[in-house]
Amino acid sequence: MSILLDQSNRVLVMGITGNYGKFFVTDSGGYGTTIVAGVSPGRGGGNVDGVPVFESAHAACNATSADTAMVFVPPHLVRAAAIEAIEAGCKLVVATADEMPVRDTIEIRAAAKANGARLVGPNSPGIISPGKAKMGFMPSFCFMRGPMGVISRSGSLSYEGSKRLTVAGIGQTTVIGIGGDPIKGTTAAEALALFHDDPETQAVMYLGEIGGTEEAAVAEYAARKDAKPIAALVVGKTAPPGKKMGHAAALVGSKADSHSAKTKMLARSGVHVCKGLSDLVPQARAALAAG
Amino acid sequence: MMILEHEAKALLRSVGVPVPKGTLIKPGTRAPRVPAYPVAVKAQVRSGGRGKQGGVIRADNAKSLKAATKKLFATSFGDEKPEVLLADPWLPIDRELYLSVTIDAAAEGYIVLYSPKGGVDIESGAPPARYAFGAPWKFRAHELRAVLENVEKDFQLRERVITLAHRLVETAAARDCHTIEINPLARLKSDTDRPGELMALDAKVVYDDWAHYRNADILAQRDGERRRAHKLLRASMEMGHMYVKLDGDIGLISGGAGLTMGAMDTIHQFGGKPACFLDASPGPTSTRGYKPAFALLDGDPAVKVILVSVFGGGTHMNRVANSLKANMAMRKSKKPVVFKLDGTYVDQVPGIFETFGAHNHTSLEAAVKEAIKLARAA
Repeated sequence: MSILLDQSNRVLVMGITGNYGKFFVTDSGGYGTTIVAGVSPGRGGGNVDGVPVFESAHAACNATSADTAMVFVPPHLVRAAAIEAIEAGCKLVVATADEMPVRDTIEIRAAAKANGARLVGPNSPGIISPGKAKMGFMPSFCFMRGPMGVISRSGSLSYEGSKRLTVAGIGQTTVIGIGGDPIKGTTAAEALALFHDDPETQAVMYLGEIGGTEEAAVAEYAARKDAKPIAALVVGKTAPPGKKMGHAAALVGSKADSHSAKTKMLARSGVHVCKGLSDLVPQARAALAAG
Repeated sequence: MMILEHEAKALLRSVGVPVPKGTLIKPGTRAPRVPAYPVAVKAQVRSGGRGKQGGVIRADNAKSLKAATKKLFATSFGDEKPEVLLADPWLPIDRELYLSVTIDAAAEGYIVLYSPKGGVDIESGAPPARYAFGAPWKFRAHELRAVLENVEKDFQLRERVITLAHRLVETAAARDCHTIEINPLARLKSDTDRPGELMALDAKVVYDDWAHYRNADILAQRDGERRRAHKLLRASMEMGHMYVKLDGDIGLISGGAGLTMGAMDTIHQFGGKPACFLDASPGPTSTRGYKPAFALLDGDPAVKVILVSVFGGGTHMNRVANSLKANMAMRKSKKPVVFKLDGTYVDQVPGIFETFGAHNHTSLEAAVKEAIKLARAA
């Protein structure tokens, strides 16, 4: 099994005629993702590599039974496109865009909640269930099918971390990029709950950063008696306090945000804490052995 | 981005929140003037803890105002010197309160924080009361009232706070603020001409940088930030790069915040020190993209070696490699460069690198060790 995504998801691409949309159809479609429709207002009736293009998400969902949306429109249009897909009936919406105003994310999240849908992102690499399907631009060779769930706040770190696991022979059920923004479509706690219920996931690797409260949620889960084993890497050990490290949420504002506070809290809850990237594979092995 | 106190107060004033009628004092003003004394002369800086660092001085007459002006313009707060001073009338305060609206991950949106005891020691006191409602349109006065019932016994004051909080929530949503904080929010003494009124004596506003296209104030702040930066950094910022200067000698050009921090930590792990956090992910595949990043680090005497570490998904490595080739051909600096590229189309990188004699490391650890060795030899 995997979480949220496999070949059975029928994917609609919002913004299919843009460069990203076109590349996605080739790259992700080639990987196994079931892409059934695209939306590009003004270009309905055409197709991209055989995928039919519609005027609206509503028309696309009606014609193709799409249930999942990949959003590839510029940041200031993501709110409109994501909510359109949600209200047309898509139950999973993945938005990779960065540079999105937080207020827009709040609105999409609220719309998803009201319609029983889920948003993944923004400012995220997306989600991949290795060997089955991917929604995003992850380099496919970094991933392989296996027993470990991966949750990451950062795209580049999810590639580096997953590749290390793959090279070491540790495959993944699903790798989900929850994103680097303060408000997330799917939080670490929500992703953990999904992995918890997935029988194939034996352990979870969490790739975190300084700042924010996601790591506290990971520690809280790990402390549960029925928790699956967790390994975690928190980057930003050497980041100076008070400076925003690229991601809006990666900022040490208070003591609880710091690397040492987070790693201590995680270790206390029984998480296998990586000392650095070089320690990722040994801790992943330890977590899997504990399962 | 955080804006200055006087700018934050102007925003509050524009939505009907009472703020003192202050006077701005520009640098180089030889004889500053205010309508009446005493005044609180306040350094306009973005760093926190200003009050505790002597950034607020009371002036009772023209002579002490002049002395305070001179002193504050000569003082650094963190790494910041005041661009301007704000002289606010010294008001008779009955009580100091704390009120803020901010983005909170657990709340899935906004929260309101209130403490009946505001002022400079807010962080050491009891944690403020918290009302989480998420989406701005979910704010309900009665829910906040229930939260404040046992916190603020003065019901007339409480009602004023609730009305004000709602105004701040609407402002934060409409104007794309991550945070609006009023500390202290002061109740004026009953013998003033506005007895019992709540006034924002200090204000902190943090804007959402990414809303610049729909808020001219944010765009102006961003432009101001770029103007204040030196020439080389400005060019990099205009490309959308994110840069934080650090105190080491390995200039790190990276893509993606998480792996940039991961690379910084790895440099430390092997005994080196990064000279910067430089996330050059926006637009890296055009030659233009990396050019200002190299210019910035080549122009920084503290940088002994440059480490380019990129792991791209949507960013294709064949294009990055070609861009790096063009940049290396243009560079005049002799500083050594170490490369570690990985990601989509990385299989094409060795072929491109061969044409200009560069080597692509396949592991971050190996690239970091090489960079440290070169930095030590420089």
